[in-house]
Amino acid sequence: MALDGAFSHLTIEVSDLDKSEAFYLDVIGLDLLGRDMVAENRPTSLLALNTRQRVLLVEVPEVPPYPASGGSIHHAWLLTMEQFAKARDRLEALGYETGIDPRQSFRAVGEFNMDIHDPDGNRFQIQAFGEEGTEILASGAGTVACGKFGEFAPGSVTRFAEGRFFLVRNRDGFLALSAWCTHKNGITAWQKESWHYYCPFHGAKFDGNGVYKGDMGCQPLRLNPVSIADDGTVLVDTGRFFARDGYSPSQAVPARPGAAFQCGGLHPLAVSFEKHVGKAPG
Amino acid sequence: MAEVESISHSGICVHDLKEAEEFYCNVLGARVHSRVNFKTQDALRGRSIHTTLTLDDYVFAVMLTEDWMEVPDAGQLRGANRTRHSFCVPKARFPKVLEMLEAVEVPFEGPVMHPEHGPFGESVYFRDPTGNFLEVLWRRDEDVVYSTVQPLGHGGGG
Repeated sequence: MALDGAFSHLTIEVSDLDKSEAFYLDVIGLDLLGRDMVAENRPTSLLALNTRQRVLLVEVPEVPPYPASGGSIHHAWLLTMEQFAKARDRLEALGYETGIDPRQSFRAVGEFNMDIHDPDGNRFQIQAFGEEGTEILASGAGTVACGKFGEFAPGSVTRFAEGRFFLVRNRDGFLALSAWCTHKNGITAWQKESWHYYCPFHGAKFDGNGVYKGDMGCQPLRLNPVSIADDGTVLVDTGRFFARDGYSPSQAVPARPGAAFQCGGLHPLAVSFEKHVGKAPG
Repeated sequence: MAEVESISHSGICVHDLKEAEEFYCNVLGARVHSRVNFKTQDALRGRSIHTTLTLDDYVFAVMLTEDWMEVPDAGQLRGANRTRHSFCVPKARFPKVLEMLEAVEVPFEGPVMHPEHGPFGESVYFRDPTGNFLEVLWRRDEDVVYSTVQPLGHGGGG
């Protein structure tokens, strides 16, 4: 048996309750439930979010120093896109820098973030997720000529950065796997030591044929159509995408001149073009 | 209405990742969502530095510290050391939780009754194997219907 509870509240020690309460109300945007509503032997302020979650500020004589080894420790607020835009305006009006995101390179498309510290140095993210996180993103690279099919050994995975795809040659032929993660549009990486594609944004993993492994319920990596020209050049159309439920050998294009992707039974997807990663919403 | 929906995710620094995973899964009932290797070198060494856990609708990460973190004396069961994470259970299950903590030999302080004009009922306080402060409580507002915490499927991108 385990506790099997749910998150209730985060207690934060502060050195000046008035100052911190004002920060969490006026800057972060929490609601005040009241003071000294909790059995603590120090002054407290209880704050509300829009769910059952609460934040309890406890005034202490001295807040312990931020652990040198815990530099990456933080907590994150989840906002709607509308709240995020208002928060950015509010922070800028109050003189905060809002364009600083120390981990922008780790953001998926459609994931927006601002970092902020409270008066005692606790680091917080202010996060929102936009619709771009689930759009189908074309790289704009058009049809990419990858090279002659004999240049790709069976079992090989070759990344084409500009076209945002991986060219896979498996036992059945060639697949072009879109590198955009089907979870929230992170860019996946092929980790050959683990034989999987890995998305560093939220941790999704896909097997060698791009089929999701895990419990986030993600679809397999999408396919870009492959064809092989009469001279043996492998061509990948980065402007078209097909969704699938799993892998079947019919998705692969045989390694011979004139072979082409057969889209029977697969679902073509409407495409957007890439947007700037990490750009704050307007 | 607040201008913030919920806590998206949260982090807890630990000294031993495996020990922390076992504690949060076996005692608190969390599930391992994903283990993150930010660097290929970590993957090559089979080393994860960051495990993302889910507990009901809450996403939090236990993160390996790079060096030893100062924590208060082990005899202190109630405190915060900057932050404390608190988890609620239905009032009817609260006595069972105390029995469970005793059964798995996790020392705790309490129960402590909160003022009746507040939303919290009774709490007990304990610590994880690293020494981070934790709390479990029942809440007087457990029958109130609040907005749902939006699922992120977040795996620790941070």
